[in-house]
Amino acid sequence: MNTQEYISSGILESYALGEVTESERVSVEQTLKQHPELREELRMIEETLEKLVFDSSLTPPAHVKEKVMSRINSSSKTEAKIVALYPEQVWKYATAASVAIALFASFMAFQYHQLWKADSIELAQIKSENQRIAEEYNVVNQKLDKIQGDLTIMESTAFIKVILKGTDNDKNALASVYWNSSTQEVFLNIQQLKAISKENQFQLWAIVDGKPVDAGVFDSNFAGLLKMKSINGAVAFAVTVEPRGGKENPSLETMRLIGNVERNPS
Amino acid sequence: MRLCQRDSTAFDYLYDHYSGALYSVVIRIVRKEEVAEELIQDVFVKIWDKINSYDSSKGRLFTWMLNIARNQAIDKTRSKEMSQGRKTDDIDNLVTKIDRQESAELPIDSIGLKETLMMLPEDQRFVIDHLYLKGFTQSELAEEFNIPLGTVKTRTRMALKELRSILNVT
Repeated sequence: MNTQEYISSGILESYALGEVTESERVSVEQTLKQHPELREELRMIEETLEKLVFDSSLTPPAHVKEKVMSRINSSSKTEAKIVALYPEQVWKYATAASVAIALFASFMAFQYHQLWKADSIELAQIKSENQRIAEEYNVVNQKLDKIQGDLTIMESTAFIKVILKGTDNDKNALASVYWNSSTQEVFLNIQQLKAISKENQFQLWAIVDGKPVDAGVFDSNFAGLLKMKSINGAVAFAVTVEPRGGKENPSLETMRLIGNVERNPS
Repeated sequence: MRLCQRDSTAFDYLYDHYSGALYSVVIRIVRKEEVAEELIQDVFVKIWDKINSYDSSKGRLFTWMLNIARNQAIDKTRSKEMSQGRKTDDIDNLVTKIDRQESAELPIDSIGLKETLMMLPEDQRFVIDHLYLKGFTQSELAEEFNIPLGTVKTRTRMALKELRSILNVT
């Protein structure tokens, strides 16, 4: 076929204008497939028409677009319903949805895991803090109980306070014995006492009927009142330094404290 | 292609890009703004409905849309409401009438286009003017003006070939 003759006939222009019969159209499309130079010619015809028309463009009023868009949107909504019935489409959407949900869930899981991690660390800190405070509370509470108990004894008129003063061995030493003559309870409180070696211990003695009676051994590192052995009918108390565990009879040359029981006027 | 999936955002772009050109084609053929406004809506709805039938191997998208617009407009002029005072008028009356109407009624700024067409020989300009700006088909043109159809076709060809160099289409 002579393509130049074909072009010169103007059939491609008619085709571009949409002004060919159905059989001509089929024939032209067939011919175009076989001849690239005809396709190139058609492209230029079309581009020329396009430029010609674009050069004379005239924008329609804005409301026209609104009307077109609303007409299109109302028609696409009805189509969307039909589309949704195809299983293939449903699968696509379901897959997309499940992927989206999975991603979202993973993200949230990660977020909550981070929060949970932070929270559990914080929780552990709070727990140990709580435990520490509870222990401190118990210690304080025990101290308080002790002080309250000591105070009850010190304030009680049932107890006689015996002040023990330092001997030549420890002139600055000072201590008190609280003795309940009816219940025979004895409590010791030290204000001042020189330290001794670890091999030795202090021993409290009560003078009963002119003889020293063991009232128990102690170390000086205690606070408040220390409960000693019960004593009946004491007239004086004394503290000596003895080997750890104490002795049956006091070593008088090591005496550090001594004080007489002064009976209340009552 | 997004348009074939009937993506309304793509259609939005399509409208913005081509509505001016297509509207100018439609309004020149129907010559009444209110009619052209209705018609251009129908054109775009039709483009939207038929976009899946557009085959890019058979031509440019614009040509396809242009022919929809042109055919819709031509169909409109053939309907009863538009039929008075058109192609049945004698030629001289028609030409003066169209010229008068265009200058009096239509806000068409086609100075550039007129300048372009003025660069064509008279017989070629006549063909393009009637085919593209006045909505005649080639057959109608041949029939109305007693020109053989083959002559109309070759003149169309010569005109478009001339325009090709004027418009720098390569």
